[in-house]
Amino acid sequence: MSERTAIEISGLNKWFDDFHVLKDISLTILEKEIIVVCGPSGSGKSTLIRCINHLEKHQEGSISIFGEKLENDKKSADIIRTNVGMLFQNFNLFPHLTVLENCTLGPIWLSKIPEVKAIEQSIVLLDRVGIADLAAKYPGQISGGQKQRVAIARALAMEPKIMLFDEPTSALDPEMIKEVLDVMIDLAESGMTMICVTHEMQFAQQVADRVIFMAEGEIVEIGPPEQVLKNPKWDRTSQFLEHILSH
Amino acid sequence: MGNQSISKPELLEFIPKPSRLPAVPVDGFIGRLKKHLFSNIWNTLLTVSVFTLLFMLIKPFLDWAIFDAVWSASNRRECLNASPDGACWPGVIQWFNGLIYGRYPNDQQWRINLGFGLGILWLVPLAFKRVEQKILIALSAITLFPFLANFLFLGGSDNQFNYIVACVGLAYLLILYINIGLIYLDRKILGEYLEPLIGRFYQRRAALLGRLLCWLTVTVLLAFLFQNLTLLLVEVDSWGGLFLTLIISGFSIVMALPIGILLALGRRSHMPVFRWLSICTIELVRSVPLITVLFMSVTMLPLFFPNTMELNKLVQVLVAVCVFAGAYMAETVRGGLQGIPPGQFEAAKSVGLGYWYTMAFIILPQALRAMIPNIVTSFISLFKDTTLVSIIGLFDIMLMARNISIDKNWLGLHTEPLIAISILFFIFCYSMSQYSHRLEKKLKNK
Repeated sequence: MSERTAIEISGLNKWFDDFHVLKDISLTILEKEIIVVCGPSGSGKSTLIRCINHLEKHQEGSISIFGEKLENDKKSADIIRTNVGMLFQNFNLFPHLTVLENCTLGPIWLSKIPEVKAIEQSIVLLDRVGIADLAAKYPGQISGGQKQRVAIARALAMEPKIMLFDEPTSALDPEMIKEVLDVMIDLAESGMTMICVTHEMQFAQQVADRVIFMAEGEIVEIGPPEQVLKNPKWDRTSQFLEHILSH
Repeated sequence: MGNQSISKPELLEFIPKPSRLPAVPVDGFIGRLKKHLFSNIWNTLLTVSVFTLLFMLIKPFLDWAIFDAVWSASNRRECLNASPDGACWPGVIQWFNGLIYGRYPNDQQWRINLGFGLGILWLVPLAFKRVEQKILIALSAITLFPFLANFLFLGGSDNQFNYIVACVGLAYLLILYINIGLIYLDRKILGEYLEPLIGRFYQRRAALLGRLLCWLTVTVLLAFLFQNLTLLLVEVDSWGGLFLTLIISGFSIVMALPIGILLALGRRSHMPVFRWLSICTIELVRSVPLITVLFMSVTMLPLFFPNTMELNKLVQVLVAVCVFAGAYMAETVRGGLQGIPPGQFEAAKSVGLGYWYTMAFIILPQALRAMIPNIVTSFISLFKDTTLVSIIGLFDIMLMARNISIDKNWLGLHTEPLIAISILFFIFCYSMSQYSHRLEKKLKNK
């Protein structure tokens, strides 16, 4: 962990119509830090990371990424997104493109890398997530775990400095969760700044620098995994943890 | 909860049912007939009555159209004398040339054949497996072929620009075919031979420049070769028949898609000006019959242009039909766009793709693929709708067919020409729908 600030959120407020989703969130994330966000559904954890990627607009407060302030206009969103990669629960691969084309599309058209080089780089990335042999397949022909790994390779192809994971394993069969988590652990060890919304507590214990527990749009608890997971200060946290750990 | 409190149900003994008898094989044509049509009295009765009904319906038509029909005569009187209850085909046969080419001069009709032949040649490479960059071929066909066709069909010698673009197009076609030959012979394509030469002066983009230089050279060569060629001017007024129908429908089918896509994107846009403009265009055009749009284009369109500019009727009709077809296409495309899950937009955004890249690479390919059946349905109905242009006095195939009945030799001959053009329409429309089925199947597993 270096001392450089990657993401700075202060006084963030967001409403969906009348519903107050995020209440006064303030958070500083350092470069190369691994953050795991957990909490009951509807607590605003997905909305928080979608705000960081500007997929949702916030109404109050500010988000800066590497000192670059995120304004509610298109240009700043585009700048932010080149630095931030995102993974989704439903993978959201492009079904009409092959695995390889999914990965090379961004580099070729946005980073303006020559096609041959983009393909080389993407094959290296696909190899890193363990599925280089599937490069010519279409997303409809591969399994869920493989899809999520393609999604990781696709995000990495844009060489992001920060990766956001929105429940990356919750749509997967149990035996596929591990293959995705392994890739994420590998990524964490390589020094990527990561924010993961996940209920995989093992993962949190193994790699997280800090765990955030959210409830009803607020950050209830934040701290190193041993503290939040083993000795939670708040009743709400221990209740929730009891629930998900009993499974 | 207490598992002990629930007593386990007693397992029943498994008693296998006796095996079913093997199916009796049905052999041959007779066997199948017996099984499907005459299996019992009721089915036999149904079969017999349905076949009787069909026979009663079809026999009179076949009698009229084939068995009692007259195939050679010089006028309708002779037809009626030979067989009063049969069809009189000689009228259609004599006018067949007119049905196809309209009033285009007979000795110039090779230009139409050549033009359509070139058009087909242009599209044939799209079916070859080893040809690359098919989008470029399709784009060139859309943008360059109209000039080439216009040069051939219209003739005259006062339009220099058209002549040059026609040469550019012809050069493209020529190079395309030479390159296809070279590819199948596993040789380098034409442009690549120039690459080292250009590479000496300008290293970057040598491949692209090589191709462009090659294209330019062939264009200049062609332009000099055909320098003295002057085609007889055939005014648009004498274009007609199936030829004109194909021009109008072909042009509007090609233009409907881009217009439709732009209108559909406009309608979903967050920018109020574009959104309202698109909504107004779509709703206005969709709520007015095509005939009205055609009449308006003929009477109103000239008001928007300076007095000195003379618009020909064909251009006015093309504008009208394109806008009309575009508005319908817009709603079809919008339907496709709505079927795309929002996750695709989010994924594209998170990769960093902007609006146009997202639309061009992610959303439209999926939306259009899903909408192929609807798009082709619109194309087919558009193809048939173009017969309406006969009402504003263009001699398309419909008007030519009706003209037969006012020819003094064939006065009152209405039915036979209509049947003849129905067959022509069926051939075109059915092949379009078959093509769309094949396209769907081909894209299905992707």
